[in-house]
Amino acid sequence: MTPRVPRGLPATRVLRAVRALRGTVPVWVVVGAAVAAGAVLLLAVGADPVVGYREIVLGAVGDRYHLGETVVRAVPVAVVALGVVPALRARVFTIGSEGQLAMGALASTVAVLALGTLPAPLLLAVGALAGVAGGALWALPAALLRGYARVNEILSTLLLNYVAGFGLLWLLRTALREPGTLTTPSSADLPEAGRIPTLLPGTRLHWGVVLVLVAAAGLAWWVRSPRGFALDVYGTHPALAARMGVRPAGAVVSTMLVGGAAAGLAGWVQVAGVQGRLYPSVAGGLGFTGLVVALLGGLRPAGVLGVALIFGALATGAEGLQVGTGVPASLATVVQALLLGGVALSAAASHRRLRRGAGERPG
Amino acid sequence: MKLLTLAFWEVVLAGSVRLAVPLALAALGETLVERSGILNLGVEGMMIMGALAGVWAAVGGGSWAGVAAGAAVGALLGALMALAVVGGGANQVVIGVALTLLGTGLASFLFQAWIPSGRQGVGVSPVPVVRVPGLADLPLVGPALFAQNLLMYGTLALVPALAWMLRRSRFGLAVRAVGDDPAAAALRGVATARVRTLTLVAGGALAGVAGAAITVGYLGSFTDGVTAGRGFVAVAIVIIGNWTPLGALAGALLFAFCDSLALHAQSGGVVLPVEAWSALPYLVTLAVLVVTSRRRRAPRALGV
Repeated sequence: MTPRVPRGLPATRVLRAVRALRGTVPVWVVVGAAVAAGAVLLLAVGADPVVGYREIVLGAVGDRYHLGETVVRAVPVAVVALGVVPALRARVFTIGSEGQLAMGALASTVAVLALGTLPAPLLLAVGALAGVAGGALWALPAALLRGYARVNEILSTLLLNYVAGFGLLWLLRTALREPGTLTTPSSADLPEAGRIPTLLPGTRLHWGVVLVLVAAAGLAWWVRSPRGFALDVYGTHPALAARMGVRPAGAVVSTMLVGGAAAGLAGWVQVAGVQGRLYPSVAGGLGFTGLVVALLGGLRPAGVLGVALIFGALATGAEGLQVGTGVPASLATVVQALLLGGVALSAAASHRRLRRGAGERPG
Repeated sequence: MKLLTLAFWEVVLAGSVRLAVPLALAALGETLVERSGILNLGVEGMMIMGALAGVWAAVGGGSWAGVAAGAAVGALLGALMALAVVGGGANQVVIGVALTLLGTGLASFLFQAWIPSGRQGVGVSPVPVVRVPGLADLPLVGPALFAQNLLMYGTLALVPALAWMLRRSRFGLAVRAVGDDPAAAALRGVATARVRTLTLVAGGALAGVAGAAITVGYLGSFTDGVTAGRGFVAVAIVIIGNWTPLGALAGALLFAFCDSLALHAQSGGVVLPVEAWSALPYLVTLAVLVVTSRRRRAPRALGV
């Protein structure tokens, strides 16, 4: 018997209904829908949505300390996200930030602990450079494989994330282990000179936030530079880019290395700015979130900064929610996922609207 | 247990087949989806939701209700992806990432709401193991091939069925046509949107069953992050399996063999850090990905 494609499937009817919505979904509808879905989840676990959202807002921006926490959480995510923007603009989907961040954190911890007697400014520079180098080095194999052997970068970077995670665990259990840390192994504390100073007293907000602003400015400049434009073209029209003198392998390798360097820097920020030591979960989803933030931010520096702050607020607020009402903090992840999906849909709709508009004009 | 004894390899092989079942199920589903030209990076999210739904349903209805619930939840998420990608024309990679994020977040949320941390976890009795009389006692391969749960035999049966369907059936022809050139397929009267919707629903259902195959299949319980990236591994397996069902099975067995070896190697007395063993399956998969990258032929419209 030959299976046939059934007609009039309910799913295809719904499909048609979604098509009817095409081009009519502005971003505020997406945000509203994500917030509403969060309210439904709150109701589902028996919490009052109004109380829940108030807890989230208070937990995120309610006082000076929590405001600081929101920014502290946004910083590494923003650094990772800004770093993957060039790769994503060139349509290179690197999902390796997680492992690169872990390797950057590892390299900077090793370097700072080894050179612990240096004065503060030098030690900070050592840490930052080691982080950059560690992240870029971990990105290198996947970059070369994609650039020269056409090995799918999504999968190679993903697989290397797990390898990095196990490598970090191994070193924390053996060479880097601080005796006395029993349950979760972690390294020795970084010397005070190697730590990023606090920016706002009474919070954990550190000077690393300046790094984000510098990186964003750098990215804004790069996007407008001829090279940035050429890579944009490479992403959408590779053949045309080749005529503009873009070497495909060069474009892939350089953008992936930039992404790795930024992720490694974010690793240093987490170690030297927040925890003061290396621990197994240092990446803790930051790499994945960074990718999401880059996409949601429309691959533009200002957008990335805004979304990173919103995500930081959501994560911090959801923790406040969990402490206050016992509602699981993973609510934030669900809302973030819905935002990403909704914005992708809305972007597709407006893209189509543009194309339709162009098609209607004669000539 | 020493490395060079028969008993050691018997245990390793039996473990590889058991661990390969969820990977193979997810990879078979993803093979079907990718043959229709869709790259689904949401497999991980579908798997973990299936894993949770499986345990939840198995508590009241037994292990088969768990498997069915996994399939249903996976199919639902597959339909959701079809809505966004086929209906809304959104970017497949982005929607896949969003679905993985949604699945992991929602599974964690619902699990904690169901069983708050600190409370005693829920255990269910796993899918029954069927011993083939006589054959199960064969040395070396007996426990691996003839003393497994019914999901494993079902997975084995699914491989030729899916291969036949893709190569010989009308629907399979439609799937391949849509995956290679949707525009030409549409011109020849293939309902491309419907074909892709169907493959996504079926692939989602298989990913959901794959998740349930971990929790209801052998673990008997759910923990946060229990799928541990297996969904992404399944996507890699599809590629190293060259988009064929048999290749998907082989890839799943390869990864699971390394995984099983890693689990048992410490007791085999091999002097390597635990973490090196744990990283082995990922490294081997990467190596195969690299080695086979030249001779592969992907569906031409994959990801478009």
